[in-house]
Amino acid sequence: MNRGYMGRVLMVDLSKGEFREEPIPEEVFEKYLSGIGLATYLLYDRIPAGADPLGPENVLGVVSGLLTGTGSLFSGRWMVAGKSPLTGTWGDANCGGSFSPAIKRCGYDGIFFAGMSEKPVYLYIKDQKPQLKDASHLWGKDAVETEEMLLEQYGPGARVAVIGPAGERLSLISGICNDKGRIAARSGLGAVMGSKRLKALVLDGKKRIIPYDREAVHKLSRKCNRWVRFQPPLGPSIGAALIGALLRVLPTAMAMDGMVYKMILRQWGTGGLNQMSPEWGDSPVKNWKGSSVDWPLKKSKSADPDLFKKSEYIKYHCYSCPLGCGGKCSMTGKYSETHKPEYESVLALGGLCMNEDTDSLFYLNELLNRAGMDTISAGATVAWAMECFEQGILTLDDTDGLDLSWGNSSAMVALIHKMINREGIGDILADGSRAAAEKIGRGSGKYTVHAGGQEPAMHDGRQDPGFAVHYSVEPTPGRHTIGAQLYYEMFQLWKRVRGLPKKLPFQIYHKNSKYRATEKHALEAAACSKYMNVVNGAGLCMFGTFLGIKRTPTFDWLNAATGWNKTPEEYMEIGMRIQTLKQAFNIRHGVDPRANRLSERALGIPPQPQGANKGRTVPIEKMMEDYWRQFGWDPSTGAPTGETLAGLGLSVE
Amino acid sequence: MSYTIIDTCTGCGACVRICPTRAITGKKKDVHRVDGNLCIECGACGRICPSAAVKDRFGNVCVMVKRSQWKRPAFAGDTCMSCSMCIDACPVHCLALSEAGKPKDPHGYPWLKDEKACIGCGFCEAECPVGAVTMVVPVPKEEPVKAKPARKAAR
Repeated sequence: MNRGYMGRVLMVDLSKGEFREEPIPEEVFEKYLSGIGLATYLLYDRIPAGADPLGPENVLGVVSGLLTGTGSLFSGRWMVAGKSPLTGTWGDANCGGSFSPAIKRCGYDGIFFAGMSEKPVYLYIKDQKPQLKDASHLWGKDAVETEEMLLEQYGPGARVAVIGPAGERLSLISGICNDKGRIAARSGLGAVMGSKRLKALVLDGKKRIIPYDREAVHKLSRKCNRWVRFQPPLGPSIGAALIGALLRVLPTAMAMDGMVYKMILRQWGTGGLNQMSPEWGDSPVKNWKGSSVDWPLKKSKSADPDLFKKSEYIKYHCYSCPLGCGGKCSMTGKYSETHKPEYESVLALGGLCMNEDTDSLFYLNELLNRAGMDTISAGATVAWAMECFEQGILTLDDTDGLDLSWGNSSAMVALIHKMINREGIGDILADGSRAAAEKIGRGSGKYTVHAGGQEPAMHDGRQDPGFAVHYSVEPTPGRHTIGAQLYYEMFQLWKRVRGLPKKLPFQIYHKNSKYRATEKHALEAAACSKYMNVVNGAGLCMFGTFLGIKRTPTFDWLNAATGWNKTPEEYMEIGMRIQTLKQAFNIRHGVDPRANRLSERALGIPPQPQGANKGRTVPIEKMMEDYWRQFGWDPSTGAPTGETLAGLGLSVE
Repeated sequence: MSYTIIDTCTGCGACVRICPTRAITGKKKDVHRVDGNLCIECGACGRICPSAAVKDRFGNVCVMVKRSQWKRPAFAGDTCMSCSMCIDACPVHCLALSEAGKPKDPHGYPWLKDEKACIGCGFCEAECPVGAVTMVVPVPKEEPVKAKPARKAAR
């Protein structure tokens, strides 16, 4: 029976150079979906407790989604999972591009790597014959060069995922790239791939992906596409920035509808909020210490979305995406083109470091993509170093003569080069801010902003406490793509799932209500986590799901593609099961969930004296406890209780 | 389920050369075999076989079609959403996205880049959710050199 998934995974033992195909029983897909759920199910058992993330015991999973290739829209996301060397917790990262269907076309739902190779290798799969090939000639090459070389060798039909020099040098903030610069960056899984000396995956499969009812899936896709294609003219991007300024001044906030964000994405991409976000306090400034006052429109003009759009010569769509938020931009200097810098990259390398040099943003974006390093963590680490320099903790002697004063873009470029090559101070900074602060000491730790070692993304929990909660409580700490109060408004889950609080679009409420630790907020946060696990199991893109559950019919697509007849509530239970198993993974590996709480500065302790988030503090302890209670986990420790585990049919040690 | 080859096979090897997944094996002048595990049912072997020796999954013997008469994809630009599903679905990688967008419509659109490689399987048509791909028998193009003097004469 064809149900959209392939029903097999490939286990690669890199130590022995052996392959093993494993059939996955149908019940597993029904209980965990594919994608991140399948990875969690398999890796929970296969990574032994206390395993060294950079040792042979760690298993790296590269998985596709359940809906990928079935004809549903937004289903081009692939995920990598394993134990994170950055945080020591469960780690996963998510990436778009054209790699996700390639995994399934090789006949697998996922490819898992255990052990460690002695010499650099890459995996090549064609005609369902996996082989490990020597990668010595590719080792040291950057991600784009490697991909070009492999594509030249294997033809345009091959799909390549690759680590850059940062991953090879085991930088704990490195990721895995595909499509010449799209990167699964978070959780430091590039270092895991580097530690296994696996340079690349080259997939050239031709298997067909057959859903249960293709016509039903297509019908839902056509309906969804009509919403995506609805695009009135938006005017210049400064309009969005001014709306941001207005939202900052008003004492009220408004529930958002995902259609608004969709229009911004289609027009400018994620960068559409480059100027708006710092204005209304969503983006941190100056290593989370500054505010909209330090980063006014005059300065944020360097990241004007219209300016970025001028250099964009074509839109970039991931596989099966009608929206196309990405773009390819031409640029001058060493590199001739780059993927349009994403919001997170621009704000992390821009506002967070007070960098007003647009050219340097483009250059650093391409440089970090090629190196396979996470732009968010790299930007946050540089910002931290800049604050240490300002405070006198780091001196010119420490920084090898680099003047790391705020906004010095040439020093930033030099420093990031050093981080990629692990030279001098770069060697210390290449493992992220927490590890660097531990090595440097001298009180530098209090300037780091992280959750369990992972630098949070450019969304401020002091503006939307939902972000602070998810940064702190997720089994993959510091993650911004799971939930927030804003996300809950856009998912519109109450329209399909019973028992969830309504938050009608454009409904106006007082800002103070966001900061109250109420059961309603906990319920919303838990719903976001559960839903995003379903979305990641299905391989859908979060931006697509922002359209709302009625317009992006995740549950209906799943039912049509698999032939199941599950209710939305049943899917939410699957999401809860995945989340609980991830948390159980952390407990098994000796992680204290309380220790992953976000750094105090980002929670408004002490509150900011000025700017959009003036005087705001997030009651995080209460919010974390409430969240855990929603899942039936022990609210004081964050560990899943035996009762909850049994209720979800999970048997864990 | 897959395509199969029956006894009328003369072992000419035409199917071996066209099969995009290298599922067909056999000695020259001997009856060939299809590896069901590799076969993706694109039907190219059936269309190219000169001795009516290929059966599809339902057991019907495939009819040979002249290669110039094989259906090729035609794209409807206005309904296409640039999602590249068709490009991914193509087993011979003969489709590509156009490289430069227009200022008003900066998206890339799929086109038949390698016309000779197309095997007419129709997977691109089947996987397109919005029906922007249709398989049509190509109309022979008029030679542009011949067309020019004809137009002049009309004036």
